[in-house]
Amino acid sequence: MELSWTTFVLEIINFLVLVWILKRFLYKPVLKVIARRQAGIEKRLSDAEALHADAEKLQIQYEGRLADWEQERQQARESLARELDTERTRKMEELQTALKQEREKARVAESHRQADALRKIEESALRQGARFATRLLEQASGPDTEARLVELLITELSRLTAEQIAALRNNYGNAPESIEVISAFPLSDDQCHRLEQALASITTPSISVQFEQNSELIAGVKITIGPWALAANIRDELKGFMELAHNE
Amino acid sequence: MDSANVLIEPVFALGPIVITNTVVTTWVIMAAIALLSWLISHRLRTEPGPLQTAIEGIVATIEEAIVEVAPQYARNILPFIGSLWIFLVIANLSGLIPGVHSPTRDLSATAALAILVFLSTHWFGIRILGLKRYLRHYLTPSPILLPFHLISEVTRTVALAVRLFGNMMSLEMAALLILLVAGFLAPVPILMLHIIEALVQAYIFGMLALIYVVGGIQSQQHQQQEQGDLHA
Repeated sequence: MELSWTTFVLEIINFLVLVWILKRFLYKPVLKVIARRQAGIEKRLSDAEALHADAEKLQIQYEGRLADWEQERQQARESLARELDTERTRKMEELQTALKQEREKARVAESHRQADALRKIEESALRQGARFATRLLEQASGPDTEARLVELLITELSRLTAEQIAALRNNYGNAPESIEVISAFPLSDDQCHRLEQALASITTPSISVQFEQNSELIAGVKITIGPWALAANIRDELKGFMELAHNE
Repeated sequence: MDSANVLIEPVFALGPIVITNTVVTTWVIMAAIALLSWLISHRLRTEPGPLQTAIEGIVATIEEAIVEVAPQYARNILPFIGSLWIFLVIANLSGLIPGVHSPTRDLSATAALAILVFLSTHWFGIRILGLKRYLRHYLTPSPILLPFHLISEVTRTVALAVRLFGNMMSLEMAALLILLVAGFLAPVPILMLHIIEALVQAYIFGMLALIYVVGGIQSQQHQQQEQGDLHA
């Protein structure tokens, strides 16, 4: 256990050289690399923080936009609801009006249909009544009925006023050559004579009267003075009755 | 038998300068460290490989250990303390290689390192605090303690040198004696103990050196801070 001063001094020098070598080739480069890496990490961290901050900012911005959009959407929805309400009200009013018109049209059409049906029923009833009356009168009429009708005609002709007679004469124009009298049954001489007198009183006495028979008249007579015809028989009365019903 | 004389042998001489195997081993270790450092320094990448990661881990661990004790002066002290740790770990473990003797089993080498610690304590203290402020710490807390401070400076330096020397020499001697007495494989547990002891002694030497250096710097600062607090 001796102390060698040579070794002692050389070891001091050796160690100082070693310190210099390590400082030069180990500590400085390694610490520099560590510092560079640390700086890189810190830079990346700061970049990440900046990105995070930007992202948060964007998030806030987008949340704000979303809120605005939500508000706008709500407003648009409310506006749309109002427009829909207005449109629905208008459409309902139009529909009500159209329904009212349609109902009025239907009512009018129904009343027309009912009136038409009533008219048809009435016509049918009249026709049936006329047919029934025709059949009944065909069975029940006879010379007596015809005599009463002739009497009724003569009475009516005798009651004509001067104006009526003048109008009658104007109707048939120039005096015809003859007057045609058609009866359902053969007329008696008295009846013929009285008819001639009655016709002579309303026409010219010189016109001859020709008597004919037609059973289709059922009962009564039909007088033809030129273009003018005077019916006092059941067939023409019934026909007129049916035409009257049809005209109504 | 003087075991130290047996183990420390001169290899060659340059005139009056006798180069022992301690110095030669130290040079070999220095060369290996320098070569490795040079290779690493030329292959440093921002994205490290396994070797670079290990080297960075060692340097970062040393730096953290120093920062724990002296955060303000870590970069100033790091080269000296870090070199102590690295050199002592390798030097202590080199004794495991057959035919190679650890340089730290030589009192001359450990004394040289202890003297360097002694000198570096004053060097860093004066450099950081200034000569007056640094010397003032010998008078604190009371000038009466100056002799004790001076004795402490000497004894702790001697203790540093002798502790490391004693431990490492005793380990090698024990392994040698067991090998001689018991046979070829018997010293294996002692060699395993050698590994642990080598690491522990390197750590203790470096940590004590760190504490001495930092103590020289911070004792004065700490006192000034206390005085400032009292005035405040």
